[in-house]
Amino acid sequence: MSLKDNMDPRIEELLPFYALDALTQDERELVESYLAQHPEARAQLQELQAGAAALPHGVAPVEPPRHVKEALMARVNSDAELRAPATVRAPRQPARRALRFEDIFRVLSLGAAAAAIVWAFVLNAQVARLRSEISALNERVATQSQSLEQLINSLPRDNVVTVSLKGTEAQPNAEGQLIADPKDQSAVLVITGLPPLEPGRTYQVWLIDGGVPVSAGLLTVDENGQGVFVVDSDKAIGSFKALGISIEPEGGSSEPTGEIVVLSDL
Amino acid sequence: MASNNNATDVLVRSHSEKTLLQASDETLVTQVARGSSAALEVLYDRYAATVLGISVRIIGDQALAEDILQETFWRVWQNAGNYQSQLGSFTSWLFRIARNLAIDAYRRRNVRPQAVVSSEEGDPILDRTPDPDMDVAEQAQAILTHRQVRRALATLPDVQREVIEMAYFYGMTRQEIAEATGEALGTIHTRARLALQKLRGELERDEFEG
Repeated sequence: MSLKDNMDPRIEELLPFYALDALTQDERELVESYLAQHPEARAQLQELQAGAAALPHGVAPVEPPRHVKEALMARVNSDAELRAPATVRAPRQPARRALRFEDIFRVLSLGAAAAAIVWAFVLNAQVARLRSEISALNERVATQSQSLEQLINSLPRDNVVTVSLKGTEAQPNAEGQLIADPKDQSAVLVITGLPPLEPGRTYQVWLIDGGVPVSAGLLTVDENGQGVFVVDSDKAIGSFKALGISIEPEGGSSEPTGEIVVLSDL
Repeated sequence: MASNNNATDVLVRSHSEKTLLQASDETLVTQVARGSSAALEVLYDRYAATVLGISVRIIGDQALAEDILQETFWRVWQNAGNYQSQLGSFTSWLFRIARNLAIDAYRRRNVRPQAVVSSEEGDPILDRTPDPDMDVAEQAQAILTHRQVRRALATLPDVQREVIEMAYFYGMTRQEIAEATGEALGTIHTRARLALQKLRGELERDEFEG
């Protein structure tokens, strides 16, 4: 006799819907009361919850517009300020004595000299800040590359391969990786080093099997020149010999017409 | 002096940012509970697209779904201290908040839901513009996770998938699903159980780590 055979049949019926969070309040209380006393039911619930927890990941992600994040963070930062302890107000400056007319020229001269000194300090500080920001950005890129490498290393080895992609002479800084199961008809393309294009132009991804290149869709990159793209095809990715990216007019072309910026064998 | 201070500030900020970007969800939500808006921002960058996807799926209205997205993370900000990791993962907690808000909004509007059994056609992931704030590896991971779950869902018989999607995405009770499908209640119970068990099995086989 299995553990399941001992379970109250009514609870057994309700358990999948408990895992799906789709019970009425009374039903939920009934199940929770039973779970509190029956560890075997909790074990079974965990199994069902593992399936239910995957459901949200099956929904296609939708990239939110920036204004949503901006509005949220403005609301959050405003709330954070209210939560922070009140800062001590700086004491008011004592009223200055009125300047005598004959002091004005001396004050102006000293002011100009002081302004020049302050300006020199500001410029110096800005140079140092920009250098540090470049260093921070480089570090961020290194971190992202590291996490991407970890991700790739964590993929199942038996059926997923990664192919390195290189920029052409037109865009030597471009590089990327295609992560794919060769038998699958889709793959993930991760690309860096492609500058954002001017309005009216777009990057287009091509799969080449020896004949006419087949469009795999339009690629958008962010302000840092990075992009992630799902390559979809009506044939297995492994059946193609090469992948290319070209610059095309907005909306794309039926065949490559512009500069080829990435071209690599698969 | 000023330049040294600025440089130090930037380096400290950079180090903190790197630490946050690599932190686990559970660590981040603990920091949110202590009032770190930067930690909330990292969680937003990780999961906003999935949360918006769930909301759009349930409501079928992009503008309303964006309100749900903002409200979901506002609730995370306000209630992070109530999150208990021993009761489930952060994502389960987060997605439940989004789902419940979306179902409530959907019921208030009383509009028709999108097709229950969705198709890859018109999948908005194919058209999306990358968020410059989102980590590239996280974007790739989200896409791969999505593909894995879609593959697993595709192995379920339609009638089984329909039952769990009606329950999860529209909060329909067992009785409501039985009425909507014209099937006996016992059949609905069996389909839900079999669907969840098979889904778990398929994902385990595919080494799913979502």
